[in-house]
Amino acid sequence: MDYTIRVATLEDCKDIYRMIMVSRCGDRRVAQGGTCSVCARRTHGHSELAKHEKVSDQVKIAQRDLEQDGFSKNPFFQSIIAEVPEQHRSKDGHSKVGYALYFFAYSSWKGRSVYMEDLYVMPEYRGKGIGKALMSKIAQLGLAAGCNQLNFAVLNWNKESMDFYLSQGCWDVTTGLDYHCMRCEGPALEALARGDPKN
Amino acid sequence: MANFILRKAEPRDVPDILRLIKELAKFEEMEEQVVLTETELLQDGFGEQPFYHCIMAEVPEDRRSSDGHTVVGFAMYYFTYDPWIGKMLYLEDFYVMKEYRGMAVHTQYIHSTAVKSRCSGMHFIVAEWNKPSIDFYKRRGASDLSHEEGWRLFEIDKEYLLKMSAK
Repeated sequence: MDYTIRVATLEDCKDIYRMIMVSRCGDRRVAQGGTCSVCARRTHGHSELAKHEKVSDQVKIAQRDLEQDGFSKNPFFQSIIAEVPEQHRSKDGHSKVGYALYFFAYSSWKGRSVYMEDLYVMPEYRGKGIGKALMSKIAQLGLAAGCNQLNFAVLNWNKESMDFYLSQGCWDVTTGLDYHCMRCEGPALEALARGDPKN
Repeated sequence: MANFILRKAEPRDVPDILRLIKELAKFEEMEEQVVLTETELLQDGFGEQPFYHCIMAEVPEDRRSSDGHTVVGFAMYYFTYDPWIGKMLYLEDFYVMKEYRGMAVHTQYIHSTAVKSRCSGMHFIVAEWNKPSIDFYKRRGASDLSHEEGWRLFEIDKEYLLKMSAK
């Protein structure tokens, strides 16, 4: 099947937002227990998304936030789109069938790096090399910007993805260096900023 | 007189930034991994579109370190993005020279930077063996995503990036 990989434009935000809503559901819902408490599955189809109220609670940004944060003068992220010709549109009529979202980061040891935040291909378009092509495009754009590493995170139960990435020459920093990814957010972040006393 | 001041890094701070990066890496037993140069730090931090930002901690002249430094700590950070929650701040390095610890040097500045820039959260990495740091952050409400959600951080080095981009 033919497809093209290109840099996203403002007009693509609607489709990027659509795909973000679907792609994230699997990650966030099943990370701890292995199955979704709403539909008892590990992954979700687009049509199931509307039933998952907890998922929509967790999404704090709207499409207009994405437009502002990604397509203004100093964007906080970059994105690329995978598109198929008209004759291969999905049954819902979509020709934009995959996306990747990335941003530039920095290693105090090695300098410029690129971080791949999201990589997603609609289920019916998988197995055709689109995911690999999206990742390859990020690698090209990263190298062109002077980056010497590409970083990303994978959930420990996602064996298929882990195996794919390892086969591409990636290595697991969490295992290799015993690094843990930490997060501070919401009230905890605000308390930290105020310097609230702690024991 | 205040014990220290916090200020945004300037190009003249680059030698101290690299010195402190190497000191922190030495503490992590990774000193030989630091290949970054002062030239790269200057281009990458002080050009038109900086890849990172730095806060420096400086003490008055009369509190200079034994080897003559008044710049005694730094924090390096940049902005990232989570498509569900928006802007985030990523704390890349956070270090204070041993003899100046215990003054709550950077904590408030970095965290208020995150809040002022309307970031929804802050991410950073801690080595599993660094229990004092893990406890420090957990007491302040940080979650260990590797442990709680099963996230594993992956890396692809330049050699494989070149192979991947050629495919």
